Amino acid sequence: MQFEESTIKNALVVRVRESRIVADVAPQFKEGLIAYIRGGNKNIVLDLSEVTFIDSSGLGALIGSLKAVGTDGELVLCGARDAVVSMLKLTRMDKVFHIFGTPEEAASSLS
Amino acid sequence: MKILLVDDDPVARSIHSMLLHAQGHEVVEAADGEFAWQLVEKGQIAFVVSDWMMPNLAGVDLCRRIRAAEFEHYIYVILCTSKGAKADLIEGMDAGADDFLVKPISPEEFRVKVRAGERVLSLQQGLSDKNRELAKINTQLHSAHKLVEDDLKAAAWMQQRLLPLLTQHAPGVRCAWRLQPSGYIAGDIFNLFALDDEKIGFYLLDVSGHGVPAAMMSVTLSMVLTPDATQGSPLKRYDAVAGNSQILSPEDAVRELNRRFQSRDDRYFTIIYGVFNVRSSTLSLAQAGHPSPVLLRSEEEPVILGNGGMPIGLWPEIEFDCFDISVSPGDRILLYSDGVTECIGAHGEAFGEERLLICLREQQSLPLEELLTRLLAEITAWHGNSEFTDDVSLLAIEITNEGIQYRDSETNPETQQTYKRRKSDAV
Repeated sequence: MQFEESTIKNALVVRVRESRIVADVAPQFKEGLIAYIRGGNKNIVLDLSEVTFIDSSGLGALIGSLKAVGTDGELVLCGARDAVVSMLKLTRMDKVFHIFGTPEEAASSLS
Repeated sequence: MKILLVDDDPVARSIHSMLLHAQGHEVVEAADGEFAWQLVEKGQIAFVVSDWMMPNLAGVDLCRRIRAAEFEHYIYVILCTSKGAKADLIEGMDAGADDFLVKPISPEEFRVKVRAGERVLSLQQGLSDKNRELAKINTQLHSAHKLVEDDLKAAAWMQQRLLPLLTQHAPGVRCAWRLQPSGYIAGDIFNLFALDDEKIGFYLLDVSGHGVPAAMMSVTLSMVLTPDATQGSPLKRYDAVAGNSQILSPEDAVRELNRRFQSRDDRYFTIIYGVFNVRSSTLSLAQAGHPSPVLLRSEEEPVILGNGGMPIGLWPEIEFDCFDISVSPGDRILLYSDGVTECIGAHGEAFGEERLLICLREQQSLPLEELLTRLLAEITAWHGNSEFTDDVSLLAIEITNEGIQYRDSETNPETQQTYKRRKSDAV
């Protein structure tokens, strides 16, 4: 599981360099995000523009990471493709996550 | 190193023996090939220096015998010739000799050639030690794997027995099911049961992830999701005023489940839970993150019910779909897991909701069992084989106007027996 980091305003933008977040990479995916959170990053933008598919384990890891941020910070999404958006909508997770178009829009919402 | 020195000439033998002793080797002597062979056969010889021309088995024939015997350890053979002719070398190599010495033997050449042989044997020894070690590990792995596999097979058997405990008395419905786990054991599970005299509960659920953890949770859930669960069924609530247990609506039951199963490890499940009220002919359904069920009515197009909703255990403030529909005898509802719609075909395309609907439209006049057989065959054909990457489960329920009606799985003779017994009890 590879991430690419950048900073926009006060937010850490984490771009997921993986096309499928499925059972075999879900634990590393979550560990990676938890490491950013433990590292003191309060505002995290997760850029999903390269992700084409998230399965049930991937969704679990995503929500687990959101829970790990807790009330101390924020984890928002951007760049989600249609398949990922419809998965989030089917499971109503679009009500739990803030989903933005671009990393800039997402970062602005956090500043 | 122990070296077998073979020569019919006692003078040459003693000179060579002396040279080998000087190098620190232990020397065993033989005056002819046949005696040498007897020593080799006894074992513990890994190095042979043999003269070519000898009575009772020539050196080259001794060499052939050694190679033909295929000893477990390698035997390094140096042949001594007096001629050093090319034809001899070729014959000797063909017989399996590793090296040659030409008589009269220079002590220096003798020393380095023996040392080269030692190096080869030491490499050989190292390799065979490693191979032995690998073979041992392989055997251990094999037995460990077998243990896990046996456990999984036992677990699969237990899970199959747990599956629709369709033995319970449930008038007004007929049902059929299929479960094709992706491994030995499934994270999908379903059941149907009488909640009271007029209500029938049923569900199909899919635990996220695969393998043993998902299967353990699905089995736990199947224990909890019964009207008479020992530690307070989430499908009922005790009413202190009335002094009895009230059956919860699917909506309340799903909220209760979500309250109880907030995960600590990202594991969650999707479910369709339904209650059929036989008296009012109403079907109430709650859909929590699970693929939408399909309503089948004769002479009508199949209808997709519901819009998804949050899975259970993922988020404390759950939001999901609930709906009531009026049903009449002959109406059917099909519950299935996403292993059906997301089943990948040969070209990487998912089976999908559309194809499911087409298939159901074509087959909906068939009896329930046949309908599921055909549907599963379609899904299997789409995938190319029945080695699915996700559990495939199907639960079809038909409303009847009869009393007790059960169409149990043919693969579960025990439940059939129980059913028969119940029938005879009733008589």
